[in-house]
Amino acid sequence: MTAAAQAGLPRFVLLTLAWLPVTFAVWYFAAPILLYPAFALAEAVLRFGFADLVRAVSMDGSTAVVLTTLKPGQAAAGGQVSVDVNLLLYSFGMPMFAALVLAAREAHWPRVLAIGLAAMLPFVAWGVVADFLRNVAITAGPAIASQTGFTQGQRETIVFAYQFGTLILPTVVPAAVWVLTHRPFLERLRTSR
Amino acid sequence: MLRFFVLFIAIQALLFGFELTPWAQAHFVEPWTGALAAISSWLVTVFDPSVMAIGKIMRSTQNGFAVSIEAGCNGVEATIVLVAAILAFPAPWKHKLAGLAAGIVAVQGLNVVRVISLFYLGQWNREWFEWAHLYVWQALIMLDVLVVWLIWVRTLPRGNGGGPTPPPALAAA
Repeated sequence: MTAAAQAGLPRFVLLTLAWLPVTFAVWYFAAPILLYPAFALAEAVLRFGFADLVRAVSMDGSTAVVLTTLKPGQAAAGGQVSVDVNLLLYSFGMPMFAALVLAAREAHWPRVLAIGLAAMLPFVAWGVVADFLRNVAITAGPAIASQTGFTQGQRETIVFAYQFGTLILPTVVPAAVWVLTHRPFLERLRTSR
Repeated sequence: MLRFFVLFIAIQALLFGFELTPWAQAHFVEPWTGALAAISSWLVTVFDPSVMAIGKIMRSTQNGFAVSIEAGCNGVEATIVLVAAILAFPAPWKHKLAGLAAGIVAVQGLNVVRVISLFYLGQWNREWFEWAHLYVWQALIMLDVLVVWLIWVRTLPRGNGGGPTPPPALAAA
């Protein structure tokens, strides 16, 4: 039994809070490397799923830069719309998950940490893709949105995917992954008083 | 375990989809967001009388700084996650209802702290405000949801939701 589980929930919460500044700092400064797989996944989805909309995708720090085939307006001949998506917005659950893992400090925790972080990458990619689609299909205005060819139903799906990917997934996924990977710890935590 | 997660995701998707409907926005989300701004402003006036709430906006009459409470900052999504976690977990309804009542108060209580702290942080340093707003408080609120759920699970009588063995979600693999 780990010390955190033996000492109970208050000590575990305090340990998690103590780890948060450390994990947030590491996440922020290592983001270009840590989030590259999520970027690569989003890039693949954008390139193969929306090839008619996407001309090029690159990563600048922790920002995905998507150069589209869309024109900004009739007056701007030759110009192309570019969309920036901040990957940090969809990955702040990673430092939270890391703090929870480090506070629990179960056996094989480095492996659990690596698996958990890897499991979150598709959801970060979800946020990036949904953010891009919302930008071009909804917030960019009718002059650009009309070029995308999305139907009303598709636009509503994009809004839902974006809201779910922004408001729910970034926080729920780390907590859910942590619960799934720490079931024995949780049971000990539950019975400790 | 599988039943818990399937139910958890289904209830969450259902409640979140409902939250996005115009009816829920008009009759629940917007009134609640306005009330949150009013509660936060009222609490702040205890030590800072230069704060007022207009709809979902909390404003300083001294320097004109204002924060607008938007989706993601009104605690509705965090509450949805907590409600889904409690409803999906096998437990007697009496305990579920008690957990929902206490849990929602705990989550929204911390959310009031978030709103007030961001209001002052924004007046002090915009960069720190953005950081706290976009990343740190989001994580802290979800940590709050997780801790509240863990506390609730600990209060459940042993043997409930799975006989004498631990409930499925917490049963060791």
